Amino acid sequence: MGHLLQYILNGLSKGSIYALIALGLVVIYRGTAHLNFAQGEMALFATFGAWWINDHGVPLWISIALAAIFAFVGGGVIEFGLIRPAGKKSPFAVIVVTIGLFQAMNSLSGLLFENAGTGLPFGSLFPNKPDDFWRISGSTVWRYQNIGVLVTVLVITGLLFALFQKTKIGLAMRMVANNPDSAKLSGVSVSRILMLSWALSAAIGAVGGGLVAGVNTNVNLATMFGVFLLASAAATLGGLDSPLGAIVGGLSLGVVESLVQNYPKDWPASDYIGADTAVAVAFLIILVVLLVKPAGLFGSSRVERV
Amino acid sequence: MSALLEVSGLVAGYGAVQVLQGLDLTVNEGEVAVILGANGAGKTTTMRAISGMINRSGTINFAGNDISHTPAHEIVALGIAQVPQGRGTFTDLSVEDNLRAGAYTRSGESAAGIDADMREWYDIFPRLHERRAQKAGSLSGGEQQMLAISRALMSKPRLLLCDEPSLGLAPIITQELFAILGRLNTERGLSILVVEQNANLAVQIAHSVFVLETGSIVASGTAEEIAGNDSVRKAYLGY
Repeated sequence: MGHLLQYILNGLSKGSIYALIALGLVVIYRGTAHLNFAQGEMALFATFGAWWINDHGVPLWISIALAAIFAFVGGGVIEFGLIRPAGKKSPFAVIVVTIGLFQAMNSLSGLLFENAGTGLPFGSLFPNKPDDFWRISGSTVWRYQNIGVLVTVLVITGLLFALFQKTKIGLAMRMVANNPDSAKLSGVSVSRILMLSWALSAAIGAVGGGLVAGVNTNVNLATMFGVFLLASAAATLGGLDSPLGAIVGGLSLGVVESLVQNYPKDWPASDYIGADTAVAVAFLIILVVLLVKPAGLFGSSRVERV
Repeated sequence: MSALLEVSGLVAGYGAVQVLQGLDLTVNEGEVAVILGANGAGKTTTMRAISGMINRSGTINFAGNDISHTPAHEIVALGIAQVPQGRGTFTDLSVEDNLRAGAYTRSGESAAGIDADMREWYDIFPRLHERRAQKAGSLSGGEQQMLAISRALMSKPRLLLCDEPSLGLAPIITQELFAILGRLNTERGLSILVVEQNANLAVQIAHSVFVLETGSIVASGTAEEIAGNDSVRKAYLGY
C-alpha cells in the first residue's frame, strides 16, 4: 500500500485535465443538450496554434493564452456558422456536424502544420527536471509539474464558477440551461448565450490542450483523442449538465486510471494485466454508476414538484 | 381610457396548423382583461403570439410601438412580462436567483433598486423570503405561482400576461391568487391580461372580457355585459 498516495497524486493531475475538457463539454451541453464530439480536436487545433505562436518567439504561457482567445472567437463562429443552422433542421444534424468537425479539425491541423503527424516539440509549462518535486514523505513525491497542472485547472474552474454564480451573464447562462423559454420571456437572447457557451467551451479546451501538450512535451494529431474519450466519460459520469460533476468525474477517473495502471506492477499478476486495463476499468465503473443513477452523479434528472 | 395593447387581425399557429384566425382584442391602460375559452380555443397561443414566443402576423400595438416583428427577449424590455402556463419556474435556480432573473432587463439600474424590489416581494410573500436560498423546484405549486408572478413583475412591466394561473392549484390558493392580481391592478395600476379556465374568479377582477372560440373572438364587453349575456354566462360561467 506504500504507493497509494503517490498514485493518487499522479492520478489527480491527469484527472484534472480530463475534468477541464469535460467542463468544456458540460458548458455546451447545458445550453443545448448537444454533445460536442469535436471538443478534443478543436482543442488540438488551438494547441497547434499555440505551438505556432510559441515557435515565433512568444513565451509559451502567452502563446496558450493567445490560442485560447483565438479559440474563443473560433468557437463562437462555429456555433453561429455551423451549429445554429444545423440545429434548426434537427438535433441529429448537430451531432453529424460535430462529428464532421472532429474530422475536419484533425485534418486541418495535419494540413497546416508540417510534421503534425509525428509530433512537434512542445515546451513544458512547469519545472520538470528530475529533481523538481516536493517530497511529502519517504519515497512519495509530488512533482511540480503535477501540482502546476492541478492548480491551473482548479484556478480556471474557480473562475468559471465565479462567472456562473456571481455575474449577470452567468445568471443568463444558468437561466438558459434550466429553462430556455422562461429565459427568453425574461429578456435573455438565448442565441447569444449559446454562442457564448461555444466560445467559452472552445477557450477552455485550448487551455486543456496546452496542458496535455505541456505534460507530453509534444503535440501530434493523436494527442487529444484518448483525452477526449476519458473526458466525455468523466462528463457522463458526473452528469452531463453539471459542472461540479465534470470536475468530480474527471478527477476520479484520473485516480482510477492511475491506480489500475500502477498497482498490478506491485503484484505477481502483473504479467497478465496491462496498463490498458485502466480504460476498461474506468468504463466499467461508469457503466455501474449509470445503471444505478442514469442522470450521472450530479446530473439533474429534471424532476419537478407540481 | 387609452389603449395600452391593441391586437388586430392576429394570425398564428404551429407549423402548418393555424390556431388564431384574425384575432382582435384591446387592453386599456390600468385595466384587467380576461380571455375565456374552451380547451383548444387558442388562449395560450394568443399569449405566446403577443409575447413573441411563436411566429405571428397581424398588428400588435403596445404603447405606441408595433411589436409584431419584435423578438421575445426585446418585448420584455418594452414592458410586457408573461407568466407562462405551468409557471415557467427556473427549478434548478434558487428563489432569489429566480427573482434576479426576472430583473434581467433592468441593466441600467443600480443593484440597490433591484434589491429593494426584491425585498418588497419578500414582504408580500413571506414564504418566498423563508425559502430564498432553496431551489425553486422544491416549492409547492402555489408558492411557485407566487414566485412566477413576482419574477415577472421584477421586470417592472406595464402589462402582465398571465396564462392559466390557477392551473393545478387548490381552490383556496386560487382565490388568494386572484385577490393579489386584483390588488396589483387597483393599488399599482398594473394592466393585466389573463387567460383563465376558472371564469367566475377571473371575471370578478376583470374590467373587460373576451370570449375566444376556435381562434377568434366571438363576444366581448365589460364584465357586467358578459355576465348578462345568457349564452356566454351558461357556457363559461356555468350558472
